[in-house]
Amino acid sequence: MLELRHLTRRYGDHLAVDDVTFSVPAGQMVGFVGGNGAGKTTTMRMIMGVLAPTSGEVRWAGRPATAADRARFGYMPEERGLYPKQPILDQLVYLGRLRGLSTTSARERATELLTRFGLGDRLRATVETLSLGNQQRGQIIASVLGDPVFLVLDEPFSGLDPAAVDAMTALLREYTAAGVPVLFSSHQLDLVDRLCDSLVVLHQGKVVAAGTSDDLRRDAPLRYRLAMATDTTWVDEQPGITILQRTPGTVVLQPTDVATAQRLLVDAVARGTVQEYARLVPTLADVYREVTTA
Amino acid sequence: MSTSPTPAWQLVTRREISTRLTDRNFVIGTGLTLVLLIGAMLLPALMGGDAAHYRVAVTEAAGQRIVQQTEGAFEATPNPLGSNEPPTIEANRVPDRAAAEATVRSGDADAALVLSGREWQLLTDGAPEPELATALTQTVQQAMLARNAAAAGVTLAELSSGTQVAGVDLAAAAGASTRDPIVTFFLGFVLAMLFYMAALMFGQQISTSVVEEKQSRLVEVLAAMIPLRHLLAGKVLGNTLIAFGQILLISVVAIVGLRFTTLSIDLTGLTTALLWYVAFFVVGFLALASLYAVAGALASRNEDLAATTMPMTIALVIVLIVGLQATGTLQQVLSFLPIASTVVMPLRILDGDYALWEPIVALLLVLTFCAVAVWLGARLYERAVMHTTGTLTWRQALRLTEE
Repeated sequence: MLELRHLTRRYGDHLAVDDVTFSVPAGQMVGFVGGNGAGKTTTMRMIMGVLAPTSGEVRWAGRPATAADRARFGYMPEERGLYPKQPILDQLVYLGRLRGLSTTSARERATELLTRFGLGDRLRATVETLSLGNQQRGQIIASVLGDPVFLVLDEPFSGLDPAAVDAMTALLREYTAAGVPVLFSSHQLDLVDRLCDSLVVLHQGKVVAAGTSDDLRRDAPLRYRLAMATDTTWVDEQPGITILQRTPGTVVLQPTDVATAQRLLVDAVARGTVQEYARLVPTLADVYREVTTA
Repeated sequence: MSTSPTPAWQLVTRREISTRLTDRNFVIGTGLTLVLLIGAMLLPALMGGDAAHYRVAVTEAAGQRIVQQTEGAFEATPNPLGSNEPPTIEANRVPDRAAAEATVRSGDADAALVLSGREWQLLTDGAPEPELATALTQTVQQAMLARNAAAAGVTLAELSSGTQVAGVDLAAAAGASTRDPIVTFFLGFVLAMLFYMAALMFGQQISTSVVEEKQSRLVEVLAAMIPLRHLLAGKVLGNTLIAFGQILLISVVAIVGLRFTTLSIDLTGLTTALLWYVAFFVVGFLALASLYAVAGALASRNEDLAATTMPMTIALVIVLIVGLQATGTLQQVLSFLPIASTVVMPLRILDGDYALWEPIVALLLVLTFCAVAVWLGARLYERAVMHTTGTLTWRQALRLTEE
């Protein structure tokens, strides 16, 4: 398990990462969500030790993470890069060797993964001749070579076609099934919702929400839509109700609690024909918007 | 933890070497250098491939004999440059001076050797070939001296006795090795030039190689994976080995090539000095490589390299110029100063003015310098990695290392 405790990074007067605390439990996939400049990349770089925290600590297996621990973390940085003039297979073998694999096992594993990602016939191609999407596949493979004990992936899905996203997802699932914790950042909330066991929302350097997506939705404010054949202006005068949106015949409202919502329904039925009275379940995007604009 | 069977720096070294050897530009560049070198050695031989052949018109039997003797003289003294073949000369008997002049004007003869009264004259159409004129004049002088001596009743040997001055080298007589100061200076100069050229050629390569990971943005992955000093050490070592391979190849071709020409330098008696020279060159080069690695660590892109390597290249030139001309205490101090010692210590060794411990200590100092440079480079590199844009100046970088 990876734990971040009060991790903080200051650039001059600017707090890029402000007292971030969360953990990535074994075998779990945690999505790291936040807008541009929220501090995701800075946090990931501190996890990998390529950036020193101003304060706080990164812990692995119950103690402060060491360089030796980090040497076994798989990392896909935001700034992608491989040697442009070296054939893709050769440099994956090299990176595998640096991670401690033998030449044979590095070659076998890299060939297997390249084939799996549809690059089986491009093993000898230099990186600069590969499309950006294919370079990204190479990058993903580079991060998982050498049996990593933890994976940190910065926007691993950006620029991938749906087939590659599926291949990548299946690969990550194999690692989580083997107990490897995975932390990845993404802007694609639907993807995060689909893949992650839990997520951490970062906004202006702070964790503004954390938990499973169900948790986050549950924490979201209660909202209902009421549709009636008759006039709905009477709702305005009800205590404990805030009107969020109104169109002729329907109103979106926010009650203070479930009891208030129930009372409102009783009132409504008494006043006319209720066509619809529904609890609005927020999407993750709604939740995200909610927590980051608060 | 890590089960790495091979240290990272070795893997980096191997990658440096194998990528360079498979780099088309590098292979073509090296091949081209060798072709140029071979060409430069073969050219004089090819140009002078056909030995000169002179035709000389003569009016007398005496003239004909002189021309024949001149041919003998050509054979006895081989041409110093270019072709091994001595020039040939052919006498062409004509009836009189007028015929001789006509032959020269028409170009049927290169010159005419005629007797005008008691005086020999060499008739040419324009300036004479220096080689031909010198040889003919000497032969005429010898022949006439011999004839005059005979007329005076003495032999040529008697006439010329006591005219020679014999040189006696006291040092050689005492059994000491003799060194031509010109050769010493020449070797020192060649060493300095080679060192400087190697720095220019290979230094930039090393800086480029060090900046490569930053340019390709692979650095974050590697920084998390291996200690950066391993990366730097591997690069310094890999590029140094490549450079030596190239220098060795060029040297072998040059030495083998020289055997096919008449050019040669007498290096007898300089063997010890040459061995020291090689040792200093190797270690000095390693130090240079480390310095250029630091320059590479300061830049974040290839475009920044010119700015970070410039101060070093200038400093290097100054060190070499000062080192070559230094004497006395300054020379002694410089002979221990890393980088400068590469040029200065071998010069002192060539002069024979040194104690055995001195070059050994100087070599150890250079090696220490290399280790410090790689360490410093790795620290700078680590810091510069976090500077995602722009170039660090040397001053900023040194301040960073103090943090």
